[in-house]
Amino acid sequence: MRIDPELCVSCGACLIYCPLGAIHINDVAEVDQEVCVECGDCLRAAVCPTDAFIYEAQPWPRSVREAFSNPLAEHKETRIPGRGTEEMKTNDVRGIYGHGIIGVGAEVGRPGVSCNFHDVETVTMALAKVGMEFAEGNPVTTNMVDRATGKINPEILDERVMSAIVEGTIPLEKLADAIRAVREAAPKIDSVFSLEFIDRPEADRSVPMEKILKEQGVAYYPNGKFNLGLGRPLVE
Amino acid sequence: MTHTLHRYGKADTLNDDLVFLSMSAKGFANEKDSGEKMKKTLEIAQKHNPVNIGDMKTGNILAIPIDEIMKNVVDTSIVHAVFANVEDAAAFAKEVKEAELGISLVISAPFDHTWKVADMAGCMGHTIEYSGGIWGKTEKLPAPEVLEFTTMCGHGMISRYLVEDVIERVKAGTISAKEGSVEIGKQCCCGIYNPDRSEKLLKALAAKK
Repeated sequence: MRIDPELCVSCGACLIYCPLGAIHINDVAEVDQEVCVECGDCLRAAVCPTDAFIYEAQPWPRSVREAFSNPLAEHKETRIPGRGTEEMKTNDVRGIYGHGIIGVGAEVGRPGVSCNFHDVETVTMALAKVGMEFAEGNPVTTNMVDRATGKINPEILDERVMSAIVEGTIPLEKLADAIRAVREAAPKIDSVFSLEFIDRPEADRSVPMEKILKEQGVAYYPNGKFNLGLGRPLVE
Repeated sequence: MTHTLHRYGKADTLNDDLVFLSMSAKGFANEKDSGEKMKKTLEIAQKHNPVNIGDMKTGNILAIPIDEIMKNVVDTSIVHAVFANVEDAAAFAKEVKEAELGISLVISAPFDHTWKVADMAGCMGHTIEYSGGIWGKTEKLPAPEVLEFTTMCGHGMISRYLVEDVIERVKAGTISAKEGSVEIGKQCCCGIYNPDRSEKLLKALAAKK
């Protein structure tokens, strides 16, 4: 995103709308191109009195910024807007998770910190070592050059995005290894990640992965996501 | 992706925060004509006192007229509705189930509420997703009271600077908590921001001055 210096009247109305604080006033408002992740939030705020924002589609590799940051952008691979796959949202139809297969995700950069792909690669490589099977169609997986090691395409490593979700599955018996791997990776990144786990509840409503999360000291939230099972055909 | 997960906050305000999303599985049989089914889902939502509605393709009702949102729903949409209590959420889920639309419906809320909604609506509860919290350089995060607002948008479109500014203006009395909540919530395109909860949070923060 850029701001037309001829149109900007330096009113500063846009400054607070950038989630990453990338807009500053130097005579007129300017966007720090290193910090900007091309999310489009400033443009959608529609607070500029002179319509000075200029949106331009970016060339590769900067184009990954918008793909991973603008929620209205649709990934070609998944055909869904957003940054990951359908994960548990359609598991009632897809049947990927449950019965000993746990979904694990680490959304690097979230909440609201942003990250580059060096940070993402630190997490993917840590999870690859413990046998994580990376999600098909996930935009991070798509940008790997080696799924066995979790190595990311070096062309995009310096690119900054709002967040990128490392997603995949791991057998229940390896879940503790995955948690230990991300715990070791966490202090090595210059960002944050939000961690997620997916399972299916048993008939008595117990959730098998809970025991391991507790043993590993994962302080999971009391709130979360719950697929009500209305998709058809239903995977029992 | 996980945009309705990871909502941060204290139990007393999370209890009033029940978020639904609905979508079809891409490449599976229920994708065909699912746009019409998602429109039906949003029609049902409107009958049960939603505090927000939106579609990732278009935006939310705080910024865009509902007719425009409805008109633009397509098979690859993900539609959302937010409710402020279990009763409205359960009534919505029950009517969606009875409509037999065949597309997935997911609720994000405290887990005791999600089971209650499932029971009241006659749903089974198929898959569950936990947030394992925030790891890494957490010193980069804003204050916890700001995170309660910013994490209501899973795509990071609620700027911490906007939230801090609105908090100051509500404290100063230049805008109301309701106006401030709408101003913040407009930035969350997909319509999962809860302006009702936000208003309560702003009032509580303003009362602290």
